[in-house]
Formats: sequence, structure tokens, C-alpha cells
Amino acid sequence: MATVTPEMTTGKTSAMDYHALNAMLNLYGPDGKIQFEKDREAANQYFLQHVNQNTVFFHSLKEKLDYLVENDYYEKEVLDQYSFEFIKSLMKRAYGYKFRFPTFLGAFKYYTSYTLKTFDGKRYLERYEDRVVNVALALAAGDETLAEHIVDEVVNGRFQPATPTFLNAGKKQRGELVSCFLLRIEDNMESIGRSINSALQLSKRGGGVAFNLTNIREYGAPIKQIQNQSSGVIPVMKLFEDSFSYANQLGARQGAGAVYLQAHHPDIMRFLDTKRENADEKIRIKTLSLGVVVPDITFELAKKGEDMYLFSPYDVERVYGVPFSDISVTEKYHEMVDDARITKTKINAREFFQTLAEIQFESGYPYIMFEDTVNRANPIDGRINMSNLCSEILQVNTPSTYDDDLDYVEVGKDISCNLGSMNIALSMDSPDFGKTVETAIRALTAVSDQSNIGSVPSIARGNDMSHAIGLGQMNLHGYLGRERIFYGSEEGIDFTNIYFYTVLFHALRASNRIAQEKGRTFEGFERSKYATGEFFDKYTEQEWKPATARVQELFDKSEIHIPTQDDWRELKALVQQHGIYNQNLQAVPPTGSISYINNSTSSIHPIAAKIEIRKEGKLGRVYYPAPFMTNDNLEYFQDAYEIGPEKIIDTYAAATQHVDQGLSLTLFFKDTATTRDINRAQIYAWRKGIKTIYYVRLRQLALEGTEVDGCVSCML
Amino acid sequence: MDTQETQASVFDDAIDAPTLAEEAGPAIEADRAEIQEALDGGVQTEAQKRQHRHNHLVRAINWNRIEDEKDLEVWNRLVNNFWLPEKVPLSNDIQSWATLTDDEKLLTMRVFTGLTLLDTIQGTVGAVSLIPDAVTPHEEAVLTNIAFMESVHAKSYSSIFSTLASTKEIDDAFRWSTENPYLQRKAEIIIGYYEGDDPLKRKVASTLLESFMFYSGFYLPMHWSSRAKLTNTADMIRLIIRDEAVHGYYIGYKFQKGYEKLTPEKQAEIKDYTYSLLYELYENEAKYSAELYDPVGLTEDVKKFLHYNANKALMNLGFEPLFPSTVTDVNPAILSALSPNADENHDFFSGSGSSYVIGKAEATEDEDWDF
Repeated sequence: MATVTPEMTTGKTSAMDYHALNAMLNLYGPDGKIQFEKDREAANQYFLQHVNQNTVFFHSLKEKLDYLVENDYYEKEVLDQYSFEFIKSLMKRAYGYKFRFPTFLGAFKYYTSYTLKTFDGKRYLERYEDRVVNVALALAAGDETLAEHIVDEVVNGRFQPATPTFLNAGKKQRGELVSCFLLRIEDNMESIGRSINSALQLSKRGGGVAFNLTNIREYGAPIKQIQNQSSGVIPVMKLFEDSFSYANQLGARQGAGAVYLQAHHPDIMRFLDTKRENADEKIRIKTLSLGVVVPDITFELAKKGEDMYLFSPYDVERVYGVPFSDISVTEKYHEMVDDARITKTKINAREFFQTLAEIQFESGYPYIMFEDTVNRANPIDGRINMSNLCSEILQVNTPSTYDDDLDYVEVGKDISCNLGSMNIALSMDSPDFGKTVETAIRALTAVSDQSNIGSVPSIARGNDMSHAIGLGQMNLHGYLGRERIFYGSEEGIDFTNIYFYTVLFHALRASNRIAQEKGRTFEGFERSKYATGEFFDKYTEQEWKPATARVQELFDKSEIHIPTQDDWRELKALVQQHGIYNQNLQAVPPTGSISYINNSTSSIHPIAAKIEIRKEGKLGRVYYPAPFMTNDNLEYFQDAYEIGPEKIIDTYAAATQHVDQGLSLTLFFKDTATTRDINRAQIYAWRKGIKTIYYVRLRQLALEGTEVDGCVSCML
Repeated sequence: MDTQETQASVFDDAIDAPTLAEEAGPAIEADRAEIQEALDGGVQTEAQKRQHRHNHLVRAINWNRIEDEKDLEVWNRLVNNFWLPEKVPLSNDIQSWATLTDDEKLLTMRVFTGLTLLDTIQGTVGAVSLIPDAVTPHEEAVLTNIAFMESVHAKSYSSIFSTLASTKEIDDAFRWSTENPYLQRKAEIIIGYYEGDDPLKRKVASTLLESFMFYSGFYLPMHWSSRAKLTNTADMIRLIIRDEAVHGYYIGYKFQKGYEKLTPEKQAEIKDYTYSLLYELYENEAKYSAELYDPVGLTEDVKKFLHYNANKALMNLGFEPLFPSTVTDVNPAILSALSPNADENHDFFSGSGSSYVIGKAEATEDEDWDF
């Protein structure tokens, strides 16, 4: 997709430049207050000075649709599923809600990155409502009622599909609708070669790609029984890094990838050192994201101050007959330590954790996946051994095998996931909360049904088998601020718990209804904890209700029914009888771009700053005010660094217990923190049942005397 | 604060000081002469002899006996801020570079060559020339760190060049830097003072370089990044700005320490000198900026930025601002982009940002693992 360049702006008026107006948001006004009005003015000027003059005008909807189809902008097949009258009525419905972008960044982001443009990138062909309608038409696949529901939920901001879906749906020239891919690599050259190809193919089509390196034999391992032959995982990472930067989605964005490695892999320290500030150029990894899979045993060893053994994947696979990633290190640890056939080295466990924290200080990486926590909470038959680029996708996989010519002997099961997030504040205002969740689940399911990634057969097969989706949530902090509740307070955590509890109920019910309608479940349902009923025990055996009067009041005010134990018993019976359609239902992504368009705070994190500075390749530096924040409720908008890691972990723990996959959890520290503080937070998170940790972020404030005067984001 | 009134009083002070001295009579005049002679190095006072010994005896640096807490604070900050250009994925800017017009490319190359020259001076002459004047051994250590980072900066620009431009373009830009009269003039002025014999004047020159003269160059990458261009290059420049902000602040602080000890007359002289040097530099800088930025129509905006930073440099030296607020209203997009705080939010599709630092390692204790 071509970029709309600032040079497009022709109508230079006497009014202030919208970038300058937007930047004034970050500078206190003469009265010492935040200048929210300047940002709204920036949004307004952006339309006057730029958008309106650069939008192609059509006399009628008919003329517009005909033009877009004839010129290969819109997919004819999508529109052909509906009558023209219906499309017209849907447009009217969308425009009837009088949508306006509340912030400059929202509008700027939408027009820069999402809306349909002429092929030369110079003129806009869609307004926001057009995009929403087109997405709804594409996803509903001819179902008029569903199309109307999707339009209602999206235009009203209660549900927002993830970037790949919202950007691509209904366009003729487009990438895939799916957000995320996760692939295994086995310990052979065919698998490594295939994975490079997959990285290229998937980056070309969009979405982030993660690979599991755990099975690859370590540096110095034997090849064909000859010792000291293998180069280990680092050169493979280098290949991925270059592959991702080569392939991008029609220039829309750089490919992005992550690699995961088991903590007990012998290359683990070399793996971490690739992110060191002073790493040699040959081994330095700049743009690839790293994740470490940490089992419980590592914590136990560190607790006792002992060494941790690292095991050769090559030997482990020969001894156990399955790849390293498919055994539980915690379970087999002592057995492997005592097994002379397995080559091993050791490092001090506490020093390992300290190194982890040092690298996180320097680079923000690696992500961490708590392997045993994840597998204990997994309702699906199989093993989870990796996560993805945002550490919120947690699904089971199985290996593929290949011929010498790279054909598949057996197509394994790899993971893809399409995402979308609900705006918590607006969903709490929904006239029908259950319907909001159900519409979201149906929209996400449609993406899975319409996806077939033929270039990577193991992904296509995984999607066919599982129909996994990830319903996320955002704007938690915005909602709490609006309701004058402090993030991480007792009421804040209580709300999070009950909210996610209620969402889970409706999500399962929706997936159960889809299974009934289609007469099929995901493959392996009968071996899941849903089928055995075990999954439901914690809801049927225990009563879940608000612990604080304030949260009860919020749900009463919104007229949202909190599911009772009886409701769960009824749902359990239905699920056991008909199954559910989606193997996975929820995953809470970090929500960058879409939360700006949707006017939300990111995910269920606290805000990073009252006025956030957003930097992206296509946007430059833009300033974004926390949603619902005014000069009168600033105290409820403490930033993540003030709030500190514990309250964030407590909030995430409350949500995690109701989410089948993961939640992207970033830890925020002030620059007075040491690696010990990071380690303590990791231990605390692990103990509280957190599944994954995403970035570690540090805020370094300017040395006193060097700051920019009157800058909002510089003040504490 | 920086209104027309305060500005006038600054000059009143500067002009009044010598007048008062003249009226004070011959006795005071004689004292002044002696002090002046002492300051010029003709006769050493006891204090200066001690200082001299302090500087020339080889003493092991003891970081457990800190004479000035600021040395340790700044040392820690600089060490935490350590970075190398290889960290920034500059190659992600190649596509963006291709969208610039030829004029814009030329401007960018020249701006960065200009910055390279300044950082070369600061790394090889400037910061090094301050070392013999250091009052504490820790100050010497901080200055060596500053000198080294300046060389890292100079090398960073080369990384930008080699990533974005062809060898011929690079060579042309470097040739231009040796031929441009204004650029050469500002190098001459600064080097002149570094080679002079007054430690405080050297500090003034250095602070003006760190806090003022770099900014006509820094303007451009900030401008590009607010227009979504060369954003990774801007990240790198922001890392440099983060360093320069600390350098200017620290050298300015050390200047103030020395300045406090001077007689009022000498203070007036130094102050007068500071403002005249700033004028001299400003005049040259204005012409330099005009030559660079006129073709793209940004000169007026750049000048405001110069005014703003000139005031900032004066503040670092403990002096009153020179330019009234009416001419320092920098484009908010630039000003906000300048924040040396590490507080921006970015996604993994867009480079590394300028936020991460080298952390303080601290081993965990048994109590941390009590679960």
C-alpha cells in the first residue's frame, strides 16, 4: 500500500498546522493546565486542511461502489452477497451514528494506515464509516443480521477488529486478515529451511510470526555423530532477522518476528547476549523479538540457590523419542540430570535470572512464558511450548515432517490467531452486553472461517482444526478513570475479575451456539476439559460475585447480569452436549494502533503517560491524551511507572483466571530500579499465576536541569 | 521570566560593572591588577598552587571519597546512558530516505556533516582540553567519558551516511563541510577558545557548543520525525541529544562552581565575555542556518529554536536568558520531540526507540525467593 505523504497537503491556511496543535497537548497552557482543546482543534484542522481536500467525491453510493469494484479497489464477491438496497441501508445506519474522531492521533492513524486510498496513494476513497461497513459486509458473508450487528458494535466503538482485519477486509488488493502466526521448528535442515520460507510468506501477507527454537541442537552439538559440528540457534536467528526485514506487506509495515527458547536449552546465554548493548555485530539481533520459556523447576532451583542444568535437545530427542519442546522440563528434570546419555552443562539459576533482568534493562527483551502455569491452565489436549510476538497467544501444536525436497510427509499443526478487542468502557454502556460479546465472537470466527493460508500448510491445517480466535479487551484504565476508581485498587481489581468472568460466560455461550448452528466443534473437543466438564468446576462449585459495593453498583447501573452458578450449570450441559466451535476464545493483546482509533487506553494496562508520545514508522511522533481524562480527574490517571509492577500484576492475575490464552503484560519500572527489582516482580508474577510477561519498560527522567520547560510528559 | 525587562537588566549589569570599578579609586585598582595577574597565571596564589599540585600529582582516583556529589550523579547517568550506533536499526529508514526530494537529501547530508564536525571538535579537542582544568579527579573521569561519547556521536553520523547515502554523496558532503565559511568559522571560534588560557572561558565555549550550537543541526531530524520521516535516524539523534543535554548541564555546572569564587569584577568580565561570544556565535549561526534551510523554507523556525537553546545554554551557565519569549516560541512539534526523557511508546514494527538504558545489576537475596 502506498503512503499518503504530508506533501499531499496543499491547502496551507492561516490556521495553525495540525502537527503543531497536536504537539501543544504535550505543553502546559498559560494557566498550567493540559490543553486538551488544542488536540481536538488539531483533529478538526486535520480534516479541514488535509482529509477533506484529498477525499475523492462521488455523487451517489451507486457510482462509488461501481467505481471501486471496476477499478479493483473493492472485492466484487463481497458486495455480490447483498442487495444494493441492503448495502445502502447499512451505510445509512453507519452514518446515522455521527461518528467523530475524538483525538488527532485517532484520525491521523486511521487515514494514514487504514483507509482505502487511490493506487498512487494520493487520495482517500473511504471515510471511517465506509471502512466499517465494508468490514462488516466481508465478515458477515451474506448474513444481513450479522452485518448490522457488526456495524453497530464497531461504529459505536464497543468492538474493534485487530489491524489486519480492519485494514484488509473487503479490499481487492490486500493482505491476510489474521494477526498472528506461531510455528514450530524441528531439529533438521528441512524444517529450518521450511521455516525461513514460512517467515517470508507470512510476513508478505501480514501479521507477526513467532518461531520456537527449543528443538534446534545447540552450539557444538554433533551432526551425523561427528562432534562439535552444529552452530546452534544464533545463526538461525540471523537468518530470520534478515528474512523479516526483507519481506513486508506491500511496504505497509516491516515484517516482525519473535523467537522463543527454553530456559534449559544450552544456547540460552548466547541467545540472551544477542541483545546486549555491546554485542558483536555478527551476533547482535536488532529487530527480532526474543522470548524465554521458563518452567517451574527453574524457580525452584533458584530458590535453593542451586545450579540449573541445560540439556542438549539432540540427546533429549534421542532418549525420549520426542522433540525437546514436547516434554515437561519440570517433570523430567531430575531424570535428565541423572541420564548419562544426555549431554549437559550448568549455570547458576539465580545468575540466569539476573542476566535475564540485565538484558531486559538494556533492551526490554526477552518476553517470558511461564511454561507450567500455561499448561496447567490449558483446557485443550496437548502441550503449549511457545507464545507469539505479543505473548498473548497460547495454543497447542504438533510437529511436521518433510521429504528431502521439502515436501510434507506429515503436515503438523501450527498456530494462527485472529484478534479483536472490546472497549471495556463502551461495552459496559452497551444496551445488550451479551450481544456485544457474541457479535465480537462471531466476527472473529468469520475471519477464521474465511482464512486459508495455503502457503504454509501446517498453519492452514491448524486453523481448520481449531478455529481459534482471541477476543481481547482494552480501555480498562480509561473506564476506571471515568468511574473515578484507582487502577490496581481493591475496587479496580474486583471490577477486572467480575468483568472478565462475565465476558468468559458470554464468549463460551456464543461459541456453543455457533457449534450448534454449524453442527461441528473444533477437532479434539472430546479430549478437552470442556468435554469432561472439568473446566466448569471452578464456576459451578464456587460463587463469583463482586466483593465491593462499588463494583456491584457499576454492574447494576449498566444492567449487566452477572452469571450465577445455575447459569454455569446450564451452559456446562449445553457445552458437553454440543461442544464449542472455537478451540481458543480469548487472548488480550497489547492493542497499539487500534486503541488510538477506538479512543481507548491500551489493553488492560495502565497508561504509560498522561499524554502519551507515540512514535511509529508512518506517523512520526504524535501525542495522545488518555481517554476520558480531563483537567478535573487527573489523579485517577496515574501512569504505569507511578502505579508500579505489583498492582499491574494483581490486576492481570484477576483477569488471567478467566482467559484461556494469555494477556500481554508489560512491567514498568522507574530508573531507580535494579535487576533485583525486576527479578522480584517476575517471581511475584509467577506466584500470582501470570502466564506471560511481555516487555519490561523503564522510564528514565531527564536529569534535573536538562528537561524541556512546561512539557506534560516530562512531569511526574 | 524571559521578558524584555529582565533582558535589559542583564546588559545593565554587564555595562555597569567596569564603571563601578573605575570609580573605586587607585587602591582597589591595584588589588584588581594583582588578582588579574594571579588569574592570568603570572603569580600563583597559594590556592592555585594547591590546585596545580592537585592536578599534576598522580593520584589514584577514590570513588569512595566524593568531593562533589554531582560528579558521581553525572557519571552514573552517563554510564547508564551508554549506547552505540549499531543499536539503532537505521536501515529501516532507507525507504523513507528515498521519499525525500534532492534538496531535502542535500540539506540532511550537510546538516549531519556539520554535526560531525562539531562532535569531532568536542571529542578530540573540547572535552579533552577541559581535563587539565578539572578540580576533582572524578571530574576528570566524567570528562573522559564525555570525550569518548562525543567520538561515538561523530561515528554515529557516519553510520547514518553509510546506511542512507552513496560514497560520492558522502564525500561531497564532507568536502562541503571543509569549504563552508560559516561552518569553518564556528569551528575556528570554538577551537580558539579551547586553545586559550582561561579555564572558565573554555567552559563557556564548551557549554555554548553543547547546549546551543548543535541545535541548528538537531532541528532537522526532529522536524523529519514529526513528519514521519527518518524516524530511526531521529531516534539516534535523540540519544545524542540526551547525552548533549547532560554534557551541557554538567560543564555549565562546573563553570558556575568556578564562577562563584571570582571577584565581582572578574565575574562581570566573564559574563560580558559570555554574552559577546554568544552574539558572535549567534550571528554566524544565523547565517549558517539561512544558507542551509532557506531552500526548504524553514529558516524562521530554526532561528526560534536557536533562540530557545541559546537561553537554555545561558541557564546552564547560571545566566539570565537573552532572547525574550516572543522569539523563542519554537514549533511545539519540535519542542515536544526534544524531550530528553525516555518516555515514548513505540511498537515492534518501528525500531528500538531511544528509551532503554544499561541497568544496575543487583543480586537477589534468599528473601526474594521465599515462596
